[in-house]
Amino acid sequence: MEPGTEATYNKNIAITALIGLIASLLLSVREGSFSPVPIYGDIIFMVIMFFGYFLSNILFPEQDPALLILVSFIAQLGLIMLYRINPESAVKQLAWFGIGLFLFFASTFISKAWVEVRIGSFYLFVITALLLASPLVLGVERWGSKSWITFQNFSFQPSELAKITFSLFLADSLKNKKIENPWQFFGQIFIILALLAAAKDLGGAMLFYCTALAIIFVATSRIDLTIIGIVIACIAGLLGYEFFGHVQVRVKAWLNPWEDVPGKGYQIVQSLFAIAEGGFFGTGLGLGRPDYIPAVTTDFIFSAFFEEFGFLGASALIVVYFLLVYRGIRISLSIKNSFLSLSALGITSFFGIQIFTIIGGVIKLIPMTGVTLPFMSYGGSSMVMSFISLGILNGIKIRASGGEKDG
Amino acid sequence: MCDLWYNILEVVLVFELLSRVSKYIFIALIYYFLFNFLKIMMADLRREKNYPKETGFILVEENGKKHTLFDINTIGRADDADIIIDDPFISSKHALIAKRGSKLVIQDLNSTNGTFLNGKKIKKPVRLKEKDEIRLGTKKFTFLRGETIGTGDRSYLQ
Repeated sequence: MEPGTEATYNKNIAITALIGLIASLLLSVREGSFSPVPIYGDIIFMVIMFFGYFLSNILFPEQDPALLILVSFIAQLGLIMLYRINPESAVKQLAWFGIGLFLFFASTFISKAWVEVRIGSFYLFVITALLLASPLVLGVERWGSKSWITFQNFSFQPSELAKITFSLFLADSLKNKKIENPWQFFGQIFIILALLAAAKDLGGAMLFYCTALAIIFVATSRIDLTIIGIVIACIAGLLGYEFFGHVQVRVKAWLNPWEDVPGKGYQIVQSLFAIAEGGFFGTGLGLGRPDYIPAVTTDFIFSAFFEEFGFLGASALIVVYFLLVYRGIRISLSIKNSFLSLSALGITSFFGIQIFTIIGGVIKLIPMTGVTLPFMSYGGSSMVMSFISLGILNGIKIRASGGEKDG
Repeated sequence: MCDLWYNILEVVLVFELLSRVSKYIFIALIYYFLFNFLKIMMADLRREKNYPKETGFILVEENGKKHTLFDINTIGRADDADIIIDDPFISSKHALIAKRGSKLVIQDLNSTNGTFLNGKKIKKPVRLKEKDEIRLGTKKFTFLRGETIGTGDRSYLQ
């Protein structure tokens, strides 16, 4: 790392800490009397963030330091919003942030050492399929889709982990830049998508499909396959609309939410009201009404953020997410080894498409699908798995840098 | 009782005022954060643009020595040639391999002994195909696609 760049990174982590400090001081006087909880929370967050950032720079001098800074920045804004909406969930989320960061280190270590050991694409496919099939057998239905496994008080979404194995599966199948066994390969992808559809996790199916399409295009540079893929996606969308009741609800709520404001269009209408309320600079932290928006801590956290930080804040957040994706693509481009490069790209595409899907959904650009906003939405499963994915990305980067030194 | 209500009202109003002021501070800080990152990104892109790009092709000498081909490569005896070949039959700047569109072309730079492609002496720039044999003086080279597996020198992306 160059000295100039390092100074800029340090400056940015200081800005992140400063935002947290101001927000926590503000939130501590919100109730009318002084409450020290937000300040304690902020101190804990800062300790985790600084400790994580500097320790990772010492342990992995070859890492991409921007990843952790961007993610801490996003997670902090998420925590501020969560504390403002529901202090209890913010406390839990802070714990998940700490656990996530720890697992970030673990997955960086493991992927740094392990990525060279190939399991083989077939076994990766089997692992992915088993992960996706597990909630069908063991899981419970929640919010219209059967994609959660609940164990006592702890619940987990196996499709979050399947995203990683699916990226590795695609990368391993396409590492020679061509599809070696088309029937088998497309059959495997079809089975994975069918498992997601069986769990009625259509947002998930869309994520997996788009990522597969993106990686196939990048690996083979075949425009014909991409066009066929887009046509199939359109047909599948129409079929989904015909056969799945909740797809119809979502699409109708998207086309005209004002038709049924208290019913089907309620979520999206409340989200749009919040966004409109925000204006350019927002209402100010603590002055919006996020309690009107349903599922505000998970799917609609972006709307709540939009209301209180305004158009300027929300568009800046989108650019921060864009920067995260940009760093991932840059890592992927800088690697010559096609397996590592495609794995990095797969993980990055999952982030990028997921961010687009959920933000596009809450601003009514596309129909709403229930996926989480990585690092911001409330939820341990999402936070932890996002951190693990990021760790793998970081490990791949370190691996490639190490390879360059040896050669 | 009245005092208490007045106090609560006052604190709430103070909070509202603080919040309204601090939202501008938040926006300013968030954009400063973004600006710093965009600066790093622009520096990255600029560095990448100025750096010679690998074309993915290599030139292999008879003795197995590999030369990576970039966008522009001069071949010759001179110390400032991109690919230096120390051979008395090769001119100081003997030939040029450069990228034109998506293909690489070879061009003779008025060398004394000429440049031969698959046994034929070339006069004009000629497009190179994989496994073409290039002869400069007495030295023979094979034009091949580089290895796709393994890491190359892309340190400018660090």
